Amino acid sequence: MIASDVRQGLRSGMLLAIVVVFLFLIGATTTIADIFANALKQDRGVSLQAVLGLLALWAGSQAAKVSLDEKRPSWPRTLLRAGVAGLSSGLVIGLTLLLTLRLHEQGINLRTYLYQLSPASLDLWSLGRSPIAAALFHVLLPLVGCLVGAVLARGFRDAPWRGPASRRMSAVREAITRPLANAARTRWGRILLYAALGTLLLLLPLRLNNYWNFTLGTVGIYVLMGLGLNVVVGLAGLLDLGYVVFFAVGSYTIGLLTAPTPHNLMWDFWIVLPIAVLLAAIIGVLLGVPVLRLRGDYLAIVTLGFGEIIRVLLKAEALASFSNGPRGIPSIAQPTLVGLPFGSDRDFMYMIILSVMLVIFLTNRLQNSRVGRAWIAIREDETVARAMGINTLTSKLLAFGIGAAFAGLGGVLFASRSQFTGPDDFNLMVSINVLAVVIVGGMGSIPGVIAGAFVLKGLPEVLRELDAYRILSFGALLVAMMVLRPEGLIPSTRRRLEMQEARAAESPPATPVAPVGRGGAA
Amino acid sequence: MPESALPARTRKRITPYQIAQVVIGLGFLAFVAWRLYEVLVVERTYGPDTWLKFAISGLIIGSVYALITIGYTLVYAILRMINFAHSEVFMVGAFAGFFVFEALKSLPVGTGEHAFIEVYPIPSIILGFVAGIATSMVTGVALERIAYRPLRGAPRLVPLISAVGASIFLQNAAQLMFGPQRRTFVNLPALDRNLGWTLTVGEKPVLITYTGVFTFILAIVLLISLYLIVQRTRLGRAMRAVSENKQTAALMGIDVDGVISRTFAISGVLAGAAGVMWGIHYGQIHAYVGFIPGIKAFTAAVLGGIGNIPGAMLGSMTLGLIESLGPGGLGMDFQLKDVIAFSILVLVLIFRPSGILGEVLSEEKL
Repeated sequence: MIASDVRQGLRSGMLLAIVVVFLFLIGATTTIADIFANALKQDRGVSLQAVLGLLALWAGSQAAKVSLDEKRPSWPRTLLRAGVAGLSSGLVIGLTLLLTLRLHEQGINLRTYLYQLSPASLDLWSLGRSPIAAALFHVLLPLVGCLVGAVLARGFRDAPWRGPASRRMSAVREAITRPLANAARTRWGRILLYAALGTLLLLLPLRLNNYWNFTLGTVGIYVLMGLGLNVVVGLAGLLDLGYVVFFAVGSYTIGLLTAPTPHNLMWDFWIVLPIAVLLAAIIGVLLGVPVLRLRGDYLAIVTLGFGEIIRVLLKAEALASFSNGPRGIPSIAQPTLVGLPFGSDRDFMYMIILSVMLVIFLTNRLQNSRVGRAWIAIREDETVARAMGINTLTSKLLAFGIGAAFAGLGGVLFASRSQFTGPDDFNLMVSINVLAVVIVGGMGSIPGVIAGAFVLKGLPEVLRELDAYRILSFGALLVAMMVLRPEGLIPSTRRRLEMQEARAAESPPATPVAPVGRGGAA
Repeated sequence: MPESALPARTRKRITPYQIAQVVIGLGFLAFVAWRLYEVLVVERTYGPDTWLKFAISGLIIGSVYALITIGYTLVYAILRMINFAHSEVFMVGAFAGFFVFEALKSLPVGTGEHAFIEVYPIPSIILGFVAGIATSMVTGVALERIAYRPLRGAPRLVPLISAVGASIFLQNAAQLMFGPQRRTFVNLPALDRNLGWTLTVGEKPVLITYTGVFTFILAIVLLISLYLIVQRTRLGRAMRAVSENKQTAALMGIDVDGVISRTFAISGVLAGAAGVMWGIHYGQIHAYVGFIPGIKAFTAAVLGGIGNIPGAMLGSMTLGLIESLGPGGLGMDFQLKDVIAFSILVLVLIFRPSGILGEVLSEEKL
């Protein structure tokens, strides 16, 4: 009994220690503390301790959690677990801190090796005291935090707001979508809804300043690309890690055909737009041919390679006479409308909104068409799909081509809006960003992708301080989503059911399930 | 099904895909032949000494790739999944070795006039390797525990995305912790990067560096021991059983999760050793150092036949040679060597997806 308590305590404690030491090493705690300090008008040191305290509370509540084979633990056992968790994590954190602060005191510049341990951030951690005192404080803080967290967690175990996260999420979702869905059921309601949405989208760019139009425009372009990748990854189940290729094709097509350098063709924007989209689709099909016969894993790594190759090729001096090499293409044409320039950030916002609406319409229709059902069948089980008479190669190529076309459109808009394009716009991170948008939003779900783009591209704009940690958190988010909620924030109904089915098949309830707080497991 | 039982009409049709295959294949061969003719017969750009240099560097990089490739292949054989984050396991090992060497360089011994690394060169190298190997091993095992194990039995896309996420996470964590700049590995007193044996080929010197020879030999030793582990030990037998069929293996009393964990540990060991070797031989590391070798190693795994250990070694050496001889042989810019290596992957996937040594895999395995 006691051994299992100690083990559970140790587990939570080590988790806390790893999280805190990791955040310390990547410098995130101080950044978070800065944000707290700004928001709450508090001292930075106090904010840091508050952040650490919150983490400790969470670890404490984890330690107090019931494991499968037992009933609710008694108070002494809860406290034992929390104590073990707090003490173990405190010791690790304290020792790490003691070591770094001692080294710092001896005049070794830690930044040569550990980039984020600047003297300023170390001072923040040392609280202006001696290393020993600071280390002791950081041993005590997790201990107290864990104890309080465990007490709170046990005390409020049956509180009404505690329930499986998914249930709370879906309750919120229900509350928002139910009235809308009801309204959309009648014809007039639908017309009214669309009219309201249309007016909103028409008026919104007028009310926004250039900065917001630009930012939301970027989000819009990511919605566009997300919806495109959604066809490939979400519907057809093909993991494409080189999606940036098609974005690059769109950008470079418009760049090469409309810019004065390197070819001085100076075509009109509106002529190039369909050419670029078509070209992206064709390239998508061509790249797809060699790899789409194989299953997902190969495709992932080959597309990843394509994404890198295109950057290397565009950057290569050997091809500079064609693509202008590393210098990129400046002064790309912007569209005109009835002879008037139509190139401000606001005008582009309108174009992006229009494109997004078009793409939403298209994907929505595709999804429910014969092709869409074929894609879903392939995603579920390719062999069975083929046995059902689906031409899997053609269907997959179609998905690839359509996804590529959307990315090409995004590329055209992106390049034309900033009037410049260069090889460095097309690194792996673009593909990963778009992938994260699709995954976090919900594979195969159009509202999910839109929400994903707003969360992943919009939120970082608001939280500028956290910019350095954006890609890091994207990586963590991809893993966390896969482990905790593979169907995404706003899943499509079918996808959710699939994932639940897979889970159920994976873990048959062999062990007796512990009684759940209330209402049973249903 | 016996041939005669089929109606005559189902005789194989020629699909457009096969036509495309032939066209691409012939085009590629024609291109290679033309370039080789230009370079070798017409222009004669390089003398035999340069070719020898290329070949040597190809064997060295090939042996480093081989260590990474094995990691992909082992995991693929057992989980049917590409461990995308494997290149980061390699990177972590390189960094661990770097830090240990730096520490030993500034650690005074005895009277304090000499550093540890100067007084005990061989133990220093061993310590560096031990640190790199241990770190990579722990990273690999932790990776499996956190990012892959909860996803057993999920649709195939799910662990793949999780792996991509883990890879991005580790790259960026390393960059945040260790800074964006490139790090120069200590030039070890016992294994100076710039020294070596000199051969004379056609009256021109060809330097074979000690680090290169060391890397090559160590890699071969590790690969042979790995092969023996897989073929001769109890663990190896369990690994092969799990890769054949997990359920049956479990019924035979094999701890499947344990075997998978150990597989990740073994691939971590090899990747860690490769990381430290990379640092010692090439001298520079950074947070994204694993990316290109990772893709290359995967290419090598496919080239040799994924899931096949001798194939992985063969594929790695072949790829190393192709990418070091290729740009010279085809008379192309050396910047484009990654493009060449990568075209190989695409060609292999078009013509022989099972690789050089791979058996014809069933659909499920592909």
